[in-house]
Amino acid sequence: MEVFYAWIAEQARSGILPASFEYAFFVRGLIAVLLVAPLLGGMSHLVVSRRLAFFSAALGHAALTGLTIGLVLGEPINSAYGGIFGFCLLTAVAMVFVRRRSKLPPDTLIGVFLALSLGLGICLLVAVTKRFNIHQIEAVMFGSLLTVTDRDLVLLAGVGLAVGLVLCRRYNELLLDSVSPTLSRFESGRSAFNEYLFVVLLTCAIVVSLKVIGALLVEALVVVPAAAARNLSRSMRAYLLWSVGLALLACVGGLFISNHLLVPTGGAIVLSVGALFFVTLAMAGVRRRGINAR
Amino acid sequence: MKSADPIVEVDGMSVEIGSERVLRSVSLTVERGSCHCIVGPNGAGKSTLLAALLGRVEFGGSARIHWRGDGRIGFVPQRTEIEPSVPITACEFLALGRSRRPVFAGVGRRRRREIAYLLERVGLPSHADLPLSGLSGGELQRLLLANAIDPMPELLIMDEPTAGLDIEGSDRFEAVLANLRDASAPSILMVSHDLAQVHRLADEVTVLDRKVLQRGAPGEALAGIGGGGVYDFRGQS
Repeated sequence: MEVFYAWIAEQARSGILPASFEYAFFVRGLIAVLLVAPLLGGMSHLVVSRRLAFFSAALGHAALTGLTIGLVLGEPINSAYGGIFGFCLLTAVAMVFVRRRSKLPPDTLIGVFLALSLGLGICLLVAVTKRFNIHQIEAVMFGSLLTVTDRDLVLLAGVGLAVGLVLCRRYNELLLDSVSPTLSRFESGRSAFNEYLFVVLLTCAIVVSLKVIGALLVEALVVVPAAAARNLSRSMRAYLLWSVGLALLACVGGLFISNHLLVPTGGAIVLSVGALFFVTLAMAGVRRRGINAR
Repeated sequence: MKSADPIVEVDGMSVEIGSERVLRSVSLTVERGSCHCIVGPNGAGKSTLLAALLGRVEFGGSARIHWRGDGRIGFVPQRTEIEPSVPITACEFLALGRSRRPVFAGVGRRRRREIAYLLERVGLPSHADLPLSGLSGGELQRLLLANAIDPMPELLIMDEPTAGLDIEGSDRFEAVLANLRDASAPSILMVSHDLAQVHRLADEVTVLDRKVLQRGAPGEALAGIGGGGVYDFRGQS
């Protein structure tokens, strides 16, 4: 990879590419967002269709607690994947398990899990900050390109590919389960399996994306691209393509903004995708007025 | 009562959900090729009975289905069970259960032709590319019927397919159903709140309120309902 980074830097120095490409961390960041955007953007339309927006927020917060658990157990701060993945998976499966058996509204139950998870995370954070610099932990909370390594990119590409393949294979069944759980239960009898499968895939996607977008902001990238795409889409094909396209635009735009203004990458990406949401909202309004005028 | 050629035989079906007894010793028989309607007030256990027959609820007693062909059941849920915020088109929706290719990759030409024919059968010939949110209640209900009748089932189960529809929507649904019965005579088990519709469609009726209150031909089974204002049925006079 070093040869590749050196060649890119050479292109930047000779003026073919923007100056930011001189730095290997920026190139790694760009590759990372080009992998994260289709993964999370692509999943976002299913997250919104399945009404899992708040669920994703809880999962993002669970990642913070997972990080502190990993650190308490001795994992390195730059790759505490065991703690994060383990705790996020446990939280996701527990939320679905309890929701399927309780008569309480889903958002109430998710609120309970979110509060518990945050409480545990904050207690452990106090212990952990005695051993680590708070800025190192902030990088995981809000995302930082400086901490993305080649190993992270390989993990991101591998997990992204695996999640994408499983989603493609089971897409129609997952979508039917989102549109009508009753019909899905009747036609395949695998509604529960599909629900657990989707949250496991979502957990995998979120965990490998944390370095780029951050634990507290990752929820934005699994909800807002689809919310923006929904304003423009009249078919599932358009919904998916707009979700991925807008996530890519926001991620690449956010990366350049972050590098230019020296603000956290995660925050810049979330602001970009948020701005795109309002642009699409306005576009949808204009289109509606056009239809009404005809 | 023993039937000559039953497709469904339910005998002493009881269902308990939590501590509540939703169905008490319910028995009914659906004749092959007939339309059997279940009527009753809200909370009478009508949908639970269908859920039990579809294997989604545990029950006591017995339920037997006598298949002659491929043993396929078609199911038409209430249209309120469809999530309206997903921008899926009618064509994509029908492709979900018929195509292995993920619908975001497009619906193949051959499959599209099959779906177009199916939509034509239920009176929705130009609706393939409309999102479900753009369909009226009656159109959505006919789309759900289209989904259930391809391939043609031996037994068609419908849960209040015309609930909440206006008269025109309800009439068009009935017309499509009538054509279907003329062409292929599937056995139908249907829950309905609309007594006038039950009179028009049903060969046999079971009046349910957690247990069987009446059963028989529509005129006979519904004779006691209507004057006393016991149930809030549409079409009562």
